[in-house]
Amino acid sequence: MKKNIYRPFEAVVEDIISETPTIKTFVFRPKEPFSFRTGQFIELTVPGIGEAPFTPSSDPNITERFDVTIMKVGRVTELLHGITKGTTLGVRGPYGKGYPLDKFYGKDVLIVGGGVGLAPLRSLLFSLFAGIDKYNKVVLRYGSRTSGDIVYKEAIPEWAKKKKVNLVTTVDVGDPSWKGNVGLVTTILKDLPVDLNNAVAIVCGPPIMMKFVTMKLLDLGFKPEQIYLSMEKSMSCGLGKCGHCRIGKFYACKDGPVFTYEELKDIHDIWD
Amino acid sequence: METYFLKSTDIFKFYDRIASEYELYVPVRVKTPVKVKCEYQSHLPTDDYLLKKYSEANKEEVCFNEYRCVEPTARAFFTHFKEEVCDYFAHPPKEAKDKPIALCGVKNCDIFSTRIQDFVFLGGIDEDPVYKARRENALIISGDCPNFKEACFCRAFEINPHCNEGFDFNFSPLTDGFLVDVGSERAGKLAGLIKDMLVPAGFGQLSGRQAKRETLIRQMESHLAHHKIPRKETLQEIVLAGYNSKIWNEEMFTCVECGGCIFICDTCHCFFLSDEPRDGNTKRYRAWDGCLLKNFSRVAGGANPLKMRHMRLRNRYMKKFDFFVDNLGVQACCGCGRCIEVCPGKIDIRHILRKLYEEKHLPAV
Repeated sequence: MKKNIYRPFEAVVEDIISETPTIKTFVFRPKEPFSFRTGQFIELTVPGIGEAPFTPSSDPNITERFDVTIMKVGRVTELLHGITKGTTLGVRGPYGKGYPLDKFYGKDVLIVGGGVGLAPLRSLLFSLFAGIDKYNKVVLRYGSRTSGDIVYKEAIPEWAKKKKVNLVTTVDVGDPSWKGNVGLVTTILKDLPVDLNNAVAIVCGPPIMMKFVTMKLLDLGFKPEQIYLSMEKSMSCGLGKCGHCRIGKFYACKDGPVFTYEELKDIHDIWD
Repeated sequence: METYFLKSTDIFKFYDRIASEYELYVPVRVKTPVKVKCEYQSHLPTDDYLLKKYSEANKEEVCFNEYRCVEPTARAFFTHFKEEVCDYFAHPPKEAKDKPIALCGVKNCDIFSTRIQDFVFLGGIDEDPVYKARRENALIISGDCPNFKEACFCRAFEINPHCNEGFDFNFSPLTDGFLVDVGSERAGKLAGLIKDMLVPAGFGQLSGRQAKRETLIRQMESHLAHHKIPRKETLQEIVLAGYNSKIWNEEMFTCVECGGCIFICDTCHCFFLSDEPRDGNTKRYRAWDGCLLKNFSRVAGGANPLKMRHMRLRNRYMKKFDFFVDNLGVQACCGCGRCIEVCPGKIDIRHILRKLYEEKHLPAV
């Protein structure tokens, strides 16, 4: 029997971890075999309500369950934040191309994350850590609005201790409890311990953050083909049919959602 | 390709034979009181044609349509405006039990558009199962256009007002009957069953058809000369060069955001998936959508890359003349002119393309 491309399969919510007041990580156990490559996304169905696209935030090498970290911003995400453990949701996917890990082999991998944009990057980090010998080093720069908005609070210090990892965080607005850097993420992109001739930069965050980080990276000497961006667009089908996520000659769902800046730089209004 | 002659008096016998196996749709005429005011050619026809189920049509109203029907034929019969595409989870996919459709009155602009629809729904990473079932089983009975409407502009993009491929049967009207081209194996089998009605076409009939076709193209081109529509090779260049043009804004002054243009378009294909409870279970529907509607590109949280109307108009032209040229090698516009006729704001694609061209490349074509 040919599968129906629009039908979701079931996945049960096994655990819900509160990351910040507006962000939760949901742990799913899929009822059908499911695996994804880091950076690919899924369509998550709230039965009877509808779908929204998310990128899993867990280690792609673990297939019996997967995590999705979700910020409460819209209709579907608001409902998702109201569900309890044991709820069955629907999943379609994975879709898109994800991160081309083989192109990062032997290189200094700079990762710049903003806010909940660390979610797909966490999946990438797990993949990099699992094969860390293949990469020269991993340099993570993460910014969030306030210290209360930092996701994966417990994991970040653990990552910092790993070999070949260099990690710096910042918050846009400081508070008395915060002892770290204060300033936008672009302020911690100075004196990066990377060899520009042998580096890639991976950026994920809100469009405005990606825009300014990209400009900064270009200023620093990164070439457009060295910069990988996760593009956010309205999506419905995930298959390159429904027409919503067009970026120039591409569809974000089918050709992305990860693009190099080289691919996008001549397209108008990519940051809108 | 084999070509036969079918007498006018036998046409209903032909339809009956097709209708015994297919849900046949045939063109019926809708008389309109409107007259097109062309300074240079005031006698262009204005009647419309609708496709009606043969089983529900009166024989008196069934006719040979002189040009394309109102419905976006390539789109509307293969994806419905809103239809169920799946149940959730465990329910097995619904087997397509519907009788296959046969579409009569299809014109070459519609045939061109099926290339776009096929690329979207059959191409890419996976096939749309509902579209595939309908499209593969459908019998396409096309016809030459012996006339054209004011809004028709297929020849501007070198699309002929007659068909050479993409059909099962093609009808060319003669005074006392039709020349019938058999364009597929399936049609060949059907023709074999109605041998008594078909006689091989004579040389005179074939050359007569050729002369008619050429005459119509000449008439249409003299009509199109007044519109100065840019050549198809320039379309991508002018929409990209005109990205920041004021034209998008100026042309949208009269838009009332009704969505008529996107839903009447034979090459538009966008849709969204919507989940609704029905009969104690949730069903997923595929419903037509389009980029001229305000929330088309809105994302969670409210950001909307196409928040202004001129951005949405521009997006539509970028999709048709940039995206499709890059991805399929042809523009996603067949020149049927349906969007021109449907628009209450009199927004005219021919005019917009001409303005973009003139702004970029004086002088006009």
